[in-house]
Amino acid sequence: MNIADIQIRGRDGVVVVSITGEVDMSNANDLREAIIDATPNDALGLVLDCTSLAYIDSAGIHLLYRLGDNLRARGQTLRVVIPPTSPASDALRLAGVQRHVDVVGELEEGVRAVAMSAPKTD
Amino acid sequence: MADEEDEISEMGRPQVGFGQILLDVASPVLAPAEQVRHLYRLSDPALSELGLEELLDALLERVRDALSVDTAAILLLDTDTQELVARSAKGIEEEVEQGVRVPLGVGFAGRIAAGRIAIFMPEVSAADIHNPILREKGIRSMLGVPLIVESELIGVLHVGSLTPRQFGQKDLAVLQLAAARIAPGIERARLFSALEHEHRTAMLLQRSLLPRALPETVGIKVAARYLPARDEVGGDWYDVIDLPRGRIGLAIGDVVGHGVRAAALMGQLRTALHAYAHEGHGPSHTLELVDRFVQSMGEYAMATAVYAVFDPETARLRIATAGHPPPIIISERHARVLDVTPGAPLGGFPYGSCPEQEFTLNTSETVVLYTDGLVERRGIALTETIEQLASVLSRARSPEHACQLAVQEMVSPEGLADDMAIVAMQSTPIPDVLHLDLPADPSVLSGTRRILRRWLREHGAEEPVLSEVALAANEACANAIEHAYSPGPASFQLRATIEGGEETNLGTVVITISDTGQWREPRGENRGRGLTIIESAMDEFELKPSDSGTEVVMRRRIEPQ
Repeated sequence: MNIADIQIRGRDGVVVVSITGEVDMSNANDLREAIIDATPNDALGLVLDCTSLAYIDSAGIHLLYRLGDNLRARGQTLRVVIPPTSPASDALRLAGVQRHVDVVGELEEGVRAVAMSAPKTD
Repeated sequence: MADEEDEISEMGRPQVGFGQILLDVASPVLAPAEQVRHLYRLSDPALSELGLEELLDALLERVRDALSVDTAAILLLDTDTQELVARSAKGIEEEVEQGVRVPLGVGFAGRIAAGRIAIFMPEVSAADIHNPILREKGIRSMLGVPLIVESELIGVLHVGSLTPRQFGQKDLAVLQLAAARIAPGIERARLFSALEHEHRTAMLLQRSLLPRALPETVGIKVAARYLPARDEVGGDWYDVIDLPRGRIGLAIGDVVGHGVRAAALMGQLRTALHAYAHEGHGPSHTLELVDRFVQSMGEYAMATAVYAVFDPETARLRIATAGHPPPIIISERHARVLDVTPGAPLGGFPYGSCPEQEFTLNTSETVVLYTDGLVERRGIALTETIEQLASVLSRARSPEHACQLAVQEMVSPEGLADDMAIVAMQSTPIPDVLHLDLPADPSVLSGTRRILRRWLREHGAEEPVLSEVALAANEACANAIEHAYSPGPASFQLRATIEGGEETNLGTVVITISDTGQWREPRGENRGRGLTIIESAMDEFELKPSDSGTEVVMRRRIEPQ
């Protein structure tokens, strides 16, 4: 059963993926692949909007880390939007996500950060 | 009937090889006094009560008695092959057993059928008889008449004697009376069997379109019934839909019309509603989408329906109806008809809308959806019978009992004029000690979190503790699933209890997750993070590896807010 949905938008080389529902061991890997597929090689980077995400567990957090690794390998930037009041923020705080992923508090901030990131080559 | 007159006019002419030909189908000859008893026996009203097999048996027996013949038989026309097929016989039963077939126009019976004439053969010659069995048995004299219904030939009735004998006008009259009795009986039985066939087809279709098994989870009980109408299949359906994130969709509907077409249309609407519901659309939008679907079908179709979505965690029940009778909620010893604003029937009006209303379905309460077949009574207002149903349902102890009571008290013993469906769903209390036996599959995680959250809420836990405990339990379950190595279907158990706190109803939540796999040291970042989450979300965390498996015990005090 589908417990999460993603919505993909793009503007000015910035891909915005909004994720709703729940992310756990049952769907984390499929979601990561879908998000990677939604991000073209020539995009500056990705903003993952978790504002309306109802639940995330360690498998979902692992998704965020691997997503960061995948994008970094392609020279792209990742920002994860987690407002402090959002339902998923507790789990992310408990797991200490901020130490490993660039987290921002609102969507526009994430879009600006990615838009300003210069394409990298490594 | 011009045809028959032509035949009659020809009858005077002797026909080569067929001996004396008698015919007067139109005006039966008066029977002599001694025949009255036999005639009465042939027109016995009690025969109308019999099924076709019994009727044919009884009539052939009586014909044999009345005419003192050795054999009496009925052959019916197979319109596909234009052959007469032996259907029933008394005296020489082998005819039927061997499925004798006689082409139209050939032999004794074939000539009777082709010419729609009565034929008498005082001395049968081998060349006259197509049927080999009659030849073998040594039939000497025969008399036969056509079986005709509304100017359609349907078969032949004939009698035979093993000794040479003369059949007179009175014998013909008896045989014609029997034929007049038999023919409509056969026709009725054929029509009935054609209807029966359609009925069975529709029933089969109907059955195959209704859900095979209803989803059952902790905290939810569902029961349903579908009863076809006395004579016809209708277009009623129900559905119980497992929606994402622990919610449950409950649907019922009624396609206007009867028979195979209504049943097929029902199947399409049920599928459409199921698919839209699964997309996550709410009750109102789901019904509106089904309405557009019906409108787009390009043929006249109309249906009424109710779609409700229940969230067990919040107890919220959202309902939209499209021209359908209102749902009923059963509380303890009381049932109330919901005051819903009905929307337009599906397919009824262009751009029909279905307003959505929200109700609360508290623990132990049951919501009941039903179709009008259950509440329609000639001469009684629908509102009155719906109240009557509510009063019957108020005695229900469970969804199953509700369905049982509804059928028992609302359906008359003669059956239903219209088909009916009922589906009942109860939000059942979560036991104080929660014990779940779960398959080691990641897909169970979401539902398990739902149940645990509801249990925690019912035991006084509030945010953020509630979410943190659910998260920690989820991590331990994910661990159990990940190291379930056994090749067969593996499972694990979750147990949740409250320690102490009898007075305040608040104490310490103890959650134990046990599996039969070997504990695996955290591998990579991922599993280590799971443990980090458990440790920071719970007050205590204990890992107990054993020979039989692994047990994780964790505790968290629920503080009064």
